[in-house]
Amino acid sequence: MLSEILIIVIRGIAIGSIFATIAMSFNIVHGATNIFNFAQGNMFILGGFAAYFLANQVGLGQWSLMLLLTGLGIAAVVAFQGYITLLPLRSSVEQDSWLISTVSVSVIVAALLMITQGPFAYSVQSVVPSFRILGTRTPGAYALAIAAMIFWFFALRFFLRKTFIGLAISALSQDFDAARAAGLPVRRLQLISFAISGLMVGTVGFLVAPVISVSPDAGLKYVLNGFVAAVVGGIGSNAGTLIGGPLVGVVAMLTAYKVGGAYQDLASLLVLVLILMFRPQGLFGRVGARRV
Amino acid sequence: MQTATSIQTGPVSMAETKPKGRFNSDLTQVWIGVALIAITGFGPVIAGNSYWIHTFQLVNIYIAAAIFQNMLFVDAGQKSFGQGAILGLAAYVAAILYGLHGWSFGGASMGGIVAAILGGLLFALPALRVQGFHLGFVTMSAAIVFPQLLVTLDKWTNGINGISVTVPALTNPVVFGMSPLAIAVAVFPMIALASHYLIRRSKLGRSMFVAALSPEAARSLGIKPGVMRFTAFVIASIGTGICGILYLPTVAFVSPQGFNIELSFVFFFAVVVGGRGQMLGPIIGIWIVYILPNILLAGFVEYRLLMYGCLTLLAVMAFPDGIVGSVERLRAKRKQTGGGEQAFRIDGFLADLQAGKTVREPSEEIAVEVRNGTKKFGEVVAVSAVDLKVRKGEVHGLIGANGSGKTSLLNVLSGLSRLNTGSFMINGVDATNMAADRIANMSLGRTFQAPRIFSQLSLWDNLKIGMDARVGPASADVTALAKAMEESFGQDSANLLSHGQRRLVEVMRTVLKEATIVLFDEPAAGLSQSERTNFANLVKFLSRQMGKTVILVEHDLDLVWGIADTITVLEQGRVVSSGKPDVVAKDPAVQHMFVGSRHA
Repeated sequence: MLSEILIIVIRGIAIGSIFATIAMSFNIVHGATNIFNFAQGNMFILGGFAAYFLANQVGLGQWSLMLLLTGLGIAAVVAFQGYITLLPLRSSVEQDSWLISTVSVSVIVAALLMITQGPFAYSVQSVVPSFRILGTRTPGAYALAIAAMIFWFFALRFFLRKTFIGLAISALSQDFDAARAAGLPVRRLQLISFAISGLMVGTVGFLVAPVISVSPDAGLKYVLNGFVAAVVGGIGSNAGTLIGGPLVGVVAMLTAYKVGGAYQDLASLLVLVLILMFRPQGLFGRVGARRV
Repeated sequence: MQTATSIQTGPVSMAETKPKGRFNSDLTQVWIGVALIAITGFGPVIAGNSYWIHTFQLVNIYIAAAIFQNMLFVDAGQKSFGQGAILGLAAYVAAILYGLHGWSFGGASMGGIVAAILGGLLFALPALRVQGFHLGFVTMSAAIVFPQLLVTLDKWTNGINGISVTVPALTNPVVFGMSPLAIAVAVFPMIALASHYLIRRSKLGRSMFVAALSPEAARSLGIKPGVMRFTAFVIASIGTGICGILYLPTVAFVSPQGFNIELSFVFFFAVVVGGRGQMLGPIIGIWIVYILPNILLAGFVEYRLLMYGCLTLLAVMAFPDGIVGSVERLRAKRKQTGGGEQAFRIDGFLADLQAGKTVREPSEEIAVEVRNGTKKFGEVVAVSAVDLKVRKGEVHGLIGANGSGKTSLLNVLSGLSRLNTGSFMINGVDATNMAADRIANMSLGRTFQAPRIFSQLSLWDNLKIGMDARVGPASADVTALAKAMEESFGQDSANLLSHGQRRLVEVMRTVLKEATIVLFDEPAAGLSQSERTNFANLVKFLSRQMGKTVILVEHDLDLVWGIADTITVLEQGRVVSSGKPDVVAKDPAVQHMFVGSRHA
């Protein structure tokens, strides 16, 4: 019983690290643009499909190369998506068109996958061997998921604090008008933040492909759980996602174990609603000052 | 300088001879919409093709659902991606009650609609706390979870097999070969369209709209934004629920696949492609988003989702206003009236109001009193132990440097933020812990630094928001004023107004509201010198002719000294001086403020 709980917790944390990385990818775009990319889940699944087609049953060398290529490829796709998302915002008074364009891109990507690949779940061989924890075989990709979350957390931290571009993006998220007035190339920085978010979800989708359902309709599940993780941690707080993601993952695993797998999304929805009702700023977020 | 009693009378209405074009084409669009719905509703029956009859019945149901989505999305500002789930909820509950438990169809329908309302309230609950993309994610998750639950809860729902029902009483032809169902399905979208139009023209519709666009302006007009959101969700749920009820006998079958997120996307995308907020938008939208892929290109049914997505993306990129919205924008641009210096002059109206009135002096009664009020934002003390007394009918100037706590104090008085310690009274009633809408209903009005003018509403509707905010019946003066303004500005756009005119619109709102206490937040900022003079006259008029108490936060010291009866000087949240203008001007504590001013 105890070991079962432990297994649930470990797997929950691993699945939750995926949500956390997606949440961090939300944060960097949201900070720079105030946009929440609804298509992020399908970009993540694209990474999984890349792993299936480019790196199934290959050696470590080719696998690593393909990981890099996938990351860069999806970074380019998301940057392009960011470009077309930002286009109408330049002139229009209507500032919520991004909501519509990112949702429609999400639908387009899922539909393209459905048309070309069919409604099937593809299984991907893991390049990292499974290992034993407490007497149970645990797929290696779970360890990769946690490692990716930690890697991206520190990579983002370094990038946002120590590099010129990263500092400029931080400036955007703190005071957009001041950053623009200071002459920062706002549009280019926003596109870079889109590209980074693509790099993040692309690589993570690739890494965890062996343990997720790589199917055209899986993207929505990840975009929602990633969002729940971001909200639980407090939107904008990458440190918060380190708690928020695993928390959502463990809740999902516990639900699957106690109630049934079909209730996982319901459980995440309930977590989302409860947090929004009682602590909309998230567990670690700060209350923003109201401006009148 | 002119005095309050000699306000110039200027031309009131524009010197145009030809009648103004309509501000918007809502009513025309409603009639076109009704005609289009009649074509899809009755046309196939006349043609006698049963395939088309069935298909277009579904189209009409979706049109009705999209109309409610349009109202919820634009008029109430609630970004719901889950309306398909609401429709499905009503259909499923009715199917379970009617098909599996032997209820009458009427009873089962009521059950379905109640379920839809409950579902809508579940959406509205998080909407009380969060807006925008948060709500989008919540409703989208609900739309994803809903079909999953239908499959999982197979004990009640028959799971993946769905439920088949027939309702012979509704589907047998009665008149002209049309069944009661066919008539209902043809007529309901028309009712939906008419309801949307009537709601938009009503006080409720305007209040929802203001609450969606500017919650703080809404609250200062006595509107509770939360109640508006709830109301919007309930109305949309009832309408969408009826669509679900109509869906049941039309399709004669419900299954989880029928109500997946795709359906919610169809409604949402239809509104965007057709034109957000346009009456005709959802109809054209469903024609394009649904009919095009499903009927004309039926052979490529697997490309359906792709087409929805591409059409919508294309619409956002190329026609952000949607198809109908783009056409309407062209029309409105040509017909737009209400620009230029003469667009919004109020002198004439005021002269009428003023006729035969005596000049009133401030009384000794206290209208607003703050006792030892302190307001902190975290560690920052914005208002510090402030005592303030404002007499009835006086013009009370609040001055001080940026960050001295003037606007914070104003926000406290209008209820938009709360004092941490201390208290304040309005007309002798303790209002320290009152919500903004309650304070507004105690006859308090305010303006904002950035005027809250809504370009989607006509100039008169922008003013009428003030009428809507009244607590009691209007006085004869205000009724006459409102009537005159409606005639002058009913078809004008508020879009072309200058900054100064926008400010005046906000002021006139408080006049129409008959607020007895008016708070002005930096009203002269951005006004030209002549506009400032006019504004000063207006404030004097409000105080001396209409007997209003005015609290004025302003940086223009000349303006304040010209019109204020009492001046209070704030510095770093504290009152450093207060009294008659000439006394305050000599106060050593405030001398440094006058560098470069004539009072130095």
